[in-house]
Amino acid sequence: MSLLRVEEVTSGYGEMEVLHGVSIEATSGEIVSIIGPNGAGKSTLMKTIFGLLHPTGGTIVFKGNDITGFNPDRIVRQGMAYVPQVENIFPSLTVHENLEMGAFIRRDDFRGRTEEIYELFPILKDRRKQRVGKMSGGEQQMVAMGRALMLDPQLLLLDEPSAALAPNLVDMIFSRIIAINRTGVAILIVEQNAKQSLRLADQGYVLAGGRKRFADTGQNLLANEEVGKLYLGG
Amino acid sequence: MDTLARIPQLLVYGVISGSILSLGGIGISLTYSILGFANFAHGDIMALGAYITLGVLTLLGGWGLTNTNFGPLSFGIGFILALVISMGLTAAAVVLIDRVLFKRLRRTGSIILMMSSIGVALGLRNILQFFWGPQPHYYVQGIQLATQIPALGIRVKPDQIFIVGTAVLLVILLHGFLQYTKIGKAMRATADNMDLSRVTGINTDRVILWTWVIGAALATAAGALAGVENKFITPELGWQMLLSIFASVVLGGLGNIYGAILGGMVIGISEEVSTAFVSTGYKPAIAFIIMILMLLVKPTGLLGKRR
Repeated sequence: MSLLRVEEVTSGYGEMEVLHGVSIEATSGEIVSIIGPNGAGKSTLMKTIFGLLHPTGGTIVFKGNDITGFNPDRIVRQGMAYVPQVENIFPSLTVHENLEMGAFIRRDDFRGRTEEIYELFPILKDRRKQRVGKMSGGEQQMVAMGRALMLDPQLLLLDEPSAALAPNLVDMIFSRIIAINRTGVAILIVEQNAKQSLRLADQGYVLAGGRKRFADTGQNLLANEEVGKLYLGG
Repeated sequence: MDTLARIPQLLVYGVISGSILSLGGIGISLTYSILGFANFAHGDIMALGAYITLGVLTLLGGWGLTNTNFGPLSFGIGFILALVISMGLTAAAVVLIDRVLFKRLRRTGSIILMMSSIGVALGLRNILQFFWGPQPHYYVQGIQLATQIPALGIRVKPDQIFIVGTAVLLVILLHGFLQYTKIGKAMRATADNMDLSRVTGINTDRVILWTWVIGAALATAAGALAGVENKFITPELGWQMLLSIFASVVLGGLGNIYGAILGGMVIGISEEVSTAFVSTGYKPAIAFIIMILMLLVKPTGLLGKRR
């Protein structure tokens, strides 16, 4: 079933249009990977889907509802969560408080959910009382994902989760992304680590110059010679 | 009197003055960290709180609740009750100001907000002057004798112990609120990162509401307690303290409420102790000399976070 459908969306910053009519789709439980060079509009697409930027054209449909033009606080209530690329944690709060804030709109008892998050990221459980600002980049990325998962979203948007991480941590983060996906959460991921993110993707898109260039399964895009030459470094 | 022999007594005055500066500074620090602007109206919110306390006290007196001595204090239970009620009323007034003015300007940026807060400052002061006049008003008449504590070489009045005790109590309550309640944690989160708060689903409007309520309630306490210490209130009360309060907030680290408390104490004590060495007229200069030294050595302040 189609979970998210982005149709012919144009968007940008003020007068500057960055996306010139982009259409993508994500199905429940899938990992969808968007790759492309710097300035392709990948982060802009994420921000537009999550309502941080309002599209100037096109529609965004989530779970059958038109959410075009919604603000993020409304979208988060629909079952979509977003992890920005930078400044994605509350540094002066502890790990546990960051997770509690993730559950801010929940009125029910969310302790069970917290335990599930700690099972996904066991290292966080040991550090639950630590301030996140003092933790390493990899740990902060885990806190950021944990925070976003507190609402039990059906779709998780990850904006370059492996950016600025050491290579061994990149593998660890990707393994956690697969683990999150196995719990039934669909993931839309934007990545510079193009090969690695296509390897785990059910569906992949190549974005360049604000337009969709290729759309295929992750495996096929990896095998595609043109994609390899232009976007995966040969 | 020998300069050094005066220092213990000046330390006492410093702690009292520091308590008042700290209570005032918390509100400025909160509005700065969450709303992102330096609120120049905060001093006059303190004065507003002090006058609303006076108004409530008068009303309570009219209803037969006397303000005669409560234990060794110069004032009665009526004043304490009036202060608590006034904290709520002042908070409501400040929330109204936010709804009418600041809320509309929120998107325009911190300079516009700061400039308009100067307008609010002048407006509030003139309203107080219009209704109560420029002359001093008193919570209680008469004077209170200080108790000697010869072992420490100091004199202290019961009222002054009340001031420090109230400040400590309020700070403990605030600490509990920020650390253990959901909305308190959301305030700290929003101070860290407003955009991420929105993305997370935190109700930032409610956080902003609480920011004003807490800032105004503590400002009311600061204003009324300053009235107890000075023995009178005037519409200028808060404005006169505002520069020292800004100095203490910057000293402690802009946006960090614990820094504001520490900064208030350091500035309060330094200002008072300085009078052992230089004329009283230099007190405000002392606050600024300390602030400038701090900015030169560590621009983020004593407890400020590095950005």
